[in-house]
Amino acid sequence: MKTLSEVLRDWEAVIGLEVHTELTTLETKMFCGCRLSHEDDPNADVCPVCLGLPGALPVPNKEAIRSIVKAGLATDCEIQKRSMFYRKHYFYPDMAKNFQTTQGPVAFCMHGHLDLEIRGQGAAELPADAPEDRRASTPSSAMNAHGGTGALALDEDAAGEGLLTRTDDGYTVPIRILRIHMEEDAAKMTHLGGSEGRIGGAAESLIDYNRCGTPLIELVTEPDLRTPEEARLFMEKLRRVFLAIGISDCSLESGSMRCDGNVSLRRKGETTLGTKTELKNLNSFKSLHDGLEYEICRQAQVLEEGGVVLQETRHFEPARKRTVVMRVKETADDYRLFPDPDLAPFDLSDDFIESCRAELGELPDAKRDRFEATFNLKRADAEALAADPALASFFETAAGAAARGAVSVANVLLNVVLGQWRAAGEDAKSSSLTPAQVAGLADLVAEGAIVSAQAREVAAAMAETGESAEAIVDARGLRQETDDDALMAVVEQVLAACPDQAAQYRSGNTKVIGYLVGQCMRACNGTGNPKRFNELLRESLT
Amino acid sequence: MRSFDELSAAEIAAGVAAGDFSAEEVARASLDAIEAREPSIHAFLQVTEELALERARELDRARAAGEKLPPLAGVPLAVKDNMNLIGSRTTCGSRMLEDYESPYTATCVARMVEAGCLPVAKANMDEFAFGSSTETSYFGKTANPWDVERVPGGSSGGSAAAVAAGEVTLALGSDTGGSIRQPASFCGVVGLKPTYGAVSRYGVVAFGSSLDQVGPFGRRVEDVALAMNALVGPGRDPLDSTSQDCPVDFLEHLEDGVRGLRIGVVSELVEARGVSAEVKAVVYAAARALQDQGAELVEVALPHIEDSIAAYYVIGPCEAFSNLARFDGVRYGYQEPGCATLAEQSEKSRAKGFGAEAKRRQMLGAYLLSSGVYDRYYYKAQQARTLITRSYANAFEKADVLLLPSSPRTAFKFGEISDPTEMYASDLCTISSNIAGNGSISVPAGLGRETGLPVAVQLQGPAFKDRRLLTFARAVERAFEGECAVAPAFAGKGGELA
Amino acid sequence: MALSEDDVRAIAEYARIGLDDEELTAMTAYMNDAVELLRPIVEFDPAGVDPTFHPIGDLSDVMRDDEERPGLSLEAALENAHAKEGRLFRVPSILGGGGLS
Repeated sequence: MKTLSEVLRDWEAVIGLEVHTELTTLETKMFCGCRLSHEDDPNADVCPVCLGLPGALPVPNKEAIRSIVKAGLATDCEIQKRSMFYRKHYFYPDMAKNFQTTQGPVAFCMHGHLDLEIRGQGAAELPADAPEDRRASTPSSAMNAHGGTGALALDEDAAGEGLLTRTDDGYTVPIRILRIHMEEDAAKMTHLGGSEGRIGGAAESLIDYNRCGTPLIELVTEPDLRTPEEARLFMEKLRRVFLAIGISDCSLESGSMRCDGNVSLRRKGETTLGTKTELKNLNSFKSLHDGLEYEICRQAQVLEEGGVVLQETRHFEPARKRTVVMRVKETADDYRLFPDPDLAPFDLSDDFIESCRAELGELPDAKRDRFEATFNLKRADAEALAADPALASFFETAAGAAARGAVSVANVLLNVVLGQWRAAGEDAKSSSLTPAQVAGLADLVAEGAIVSAQAREVAAAMAETGESAEAIVDARGLRQETDDDALMAVVEQVLAACPDQAAQYRSGNTKVIGYLVGQCMRACNGTGNPKRFNELLRESLT
Repeated sequence: MRSFDELSAAEIAAGVAAGDFSAEEVARASLDAIEAREPSIHAFLQVTEELALERARELDRARAAGEKLPPLAGVPLAVKDNMNLIGSRTTCGSRMLEDYESPYTATCVARMVEAGCLPVAKANMDEFAFGSSTETSYFGKTANPWDVERVPGGSSGGSAAAVAAGEVTLALGSDTGGSIRQPASFCGVVGLKPTYGAVSRYGVVAFGSSLDQVGPFGRRVEDVALAMNALVGPGRDPLDSTSQDCPVDFLEHLEDGVRGLRIGVVSELVEARGVSAEVKAVVYAAARALQDQGAELVEVALPHIEDSIAAYYVIGPCEAFSNLARFDGVRYGYQEPGCATLAEQSEKSRAKGFGAEAKRRQMLGAYLLSSGVYDRYYYKAQQARTLITRSYANAFEKADVLLLPSSPRTAFKFGEISDPTEMYASDLCTISSNIAGNGSISVPAGLGRETGLPVAVQLQGPAFKDRRLLTFARAVERAFEGECAVAPAFAGKGGELA
Repeated sequence: MALSEDDVRAIAEYARIGLDDEELTAMTAYMNDAVELLRPIVEFDPAGVDPTFHPIGDLSDVMRDDEERPGLSLEAALENAHAKEGRLFRVPSILGGGGLS
């Protein structure tokens, strides 16, 4: 098989994503008062409604509706005041009523976009001659898989300019979001007797309805993505946005955020879409990227050998880095969609929508821009800190407490503290370090009292003892002498003791400075700042 | 000694409160009447003796403790077997749910029990409420107490028959296309289909979610008013999204009379083909009686009423298909043993668990909802719904309530197939108020001069004006007082109260 | 447009209603009769009239607070199931089954 870059020289990959996100931060399910839990014993959180018992009726969770409105506002969607829940019928026991309550042609959120900034290596996946306007050649997939009736009015300007823009180290591109709709999750099924717990060959299956009825929002993008890297970045960015607005824990690992990828190929310059396949089991960012990469290369091989791509659902196997067919779709599924008569229609008020907007808080992009402008951070650092709301807030508290500027706080956080958290299984929320401790550490680094290499040791000691950076540095005698008069005395003493090396330096062998710095450090028992010694030696020798 | 069946709900509650008799004695009287009358009627699928006695003793203890008793204290109640009640089976008259134990209690039942009713039995019905004779119940037919060779109507036939036979004082039914009003008419009792949303549907097994409404049967309008007070109870049910507040005391204007109010006679329905002469005569007699009491008669038309019938035969099966999809034998319900695959198990369980009519309606619904078909049928049916709602709005500008037949004829014999015109006339009488959602009531208005069987008139009112309906119904009742009570063959048979 | 037995068989498969040959023939006849009776709705032309999906149409935005409510005990949840295993519901092999997952 050809590599991705070889394939993308001749072919254009057209990728769309469907992202399901469980609203895990809520207390209860979508249509009943059962507790949301991933840990409870099987069938501990069930009631007549989510078990689909005869006579039970649904009542929507207001916070779930608020959450999806927030998701829409955070992704520049138009919030549809008027919409309805529909019933989508399929006979499968993971949905207790044998229909899923979801939305019809009009979702709560329509026509949004997320803007991607692709930098560095990832940007290289996109060929230099890729077209700038993606919308012109990908007509909106208005109805997607949702059947139903009524044409949708599409706002062609929803994504602003909609053009790809090249930057110094990559490019930016807006990715349109078709819709975000509200629905309920299915029960969890365990297949017994088959291989690897998969459905094929299973002799029987067991059902736990705890997850059934969990509030779920499904986001569908337009087919605007062109590389696996863009898809990965879209998903990462979406996750950051959803984390920022607090609607979900967004765990790909536990499945609270799940992504399916639709991908098709067409010859460069072609405007009609090829036959797409749908990829499942993309449950990490790496799988999302690698699964799409494999599938693009596989489709290219099929097409180049004169074959046809079949419309099918394929399962990605991360261990073997390949996709295998799950199910061939010969005809469109007919889900007998119709408005749910048990649920009143929605006609959201301006007040409702505005109160959701008021709770949004600062979104990651705005936060990144603010960090960059206010704290003078590098854009990439600002983005990394803004990505996680808890980390961003930790950073801002620490930056506020630091006397010697936020840049050092950012460096210490990103280069020292994150590593320590990772090793200790902590994060910004569960950190055993306080922002004040980190601020103290950053100040010491900034003033040269310790070197970066020592910062790790100090951070570990702070976490263990709860003491301040200063106290630890002093107790352990780590403090670097920063008083020039004291350091100068040492320099003079060393130069006097090493006349040969001094002469070598003066005659052009500047490498010998390292030896001289070492002598200075030894002379002061390691309490001097080597960087300052270096500078003072150079000054003395010229 | 007299039978409890002579007493109204209010009289029973007053007697219990005064200590004339205990609630337990009333429960035993009802159970005794059931034992004596049930062999001829078969109104019930289960007699919930323990539940009734338990509730009665609770009330008696409350009285002994000096507590104020609720307004229906000690009143025996039957509920249609599509209503969940913990401690009972809820079968919907179907093999599918033959052994189904209710894991929870429907709001309507809970509110009646809270108001003091004794839940003595679960009443027979057409399977999943598909029918109008109670003959499609998997568990056998129910007889009409006025003539045991005849059907009680349906689908709430068991509820109507139980009240008519004096086995209970009150009963609950559900009405999707006439399933309370038609059996009430056949059995000579009062039956109210309240405005959609007035009474919670939570816990009532759904047939057509946008059509179904729960309502009470009683032998007197006052009993029905008391039941409505209990059902609308403390406000809308937070467990039913379509339930609405109905903050009304149904007793308050019951005796106000109809002087100065306008009765709209829907002549096109009274004179429709298929309406029998004795029914026509009774409707006009009721109109005159109301006029004699000071009401003004006006002529009104209901355009689009025929479209509403076609709409019903689309919406009903579509919603039924959807609502009955859950019966697959996995979590509950009939399960075909020994199946190798899930699909086989579902197909066979549904094939054997459902009767013929339930399967036909679901098949039709699955077809009508399919892609490409939906637009031509379901969507248009909902447009027709808009038009019939407008027709009603226009009619209610001219009249305070509408007067029409409840059923084009009196109760028919078992197995007797009504001819298509009669069926159509029957649908014309009842279906439009399910489509529009407004309230309607069937009130006995004497016996037919040809058949000697109960004949009723139907009153329809604007949405959420159900109290006004009861005021009119009381006026009709006053005009025909004494002609309809417990069916004569069963009155006083068992059920003695000290 | 009459429905053929094949059409009706496909609907029955979708709706999980097993029909033998005789039942299929009878059901096909019933479906065609029923559809014929619904002709008025097909010919009905209410252009421009909004549909009423919910009777008593001024109801909207019905929601509940995000508060926990007691559900069913495990015993009550499983009471009516014929096939179960421990705390779980059990179904036979799903081979050939559809589904969204």
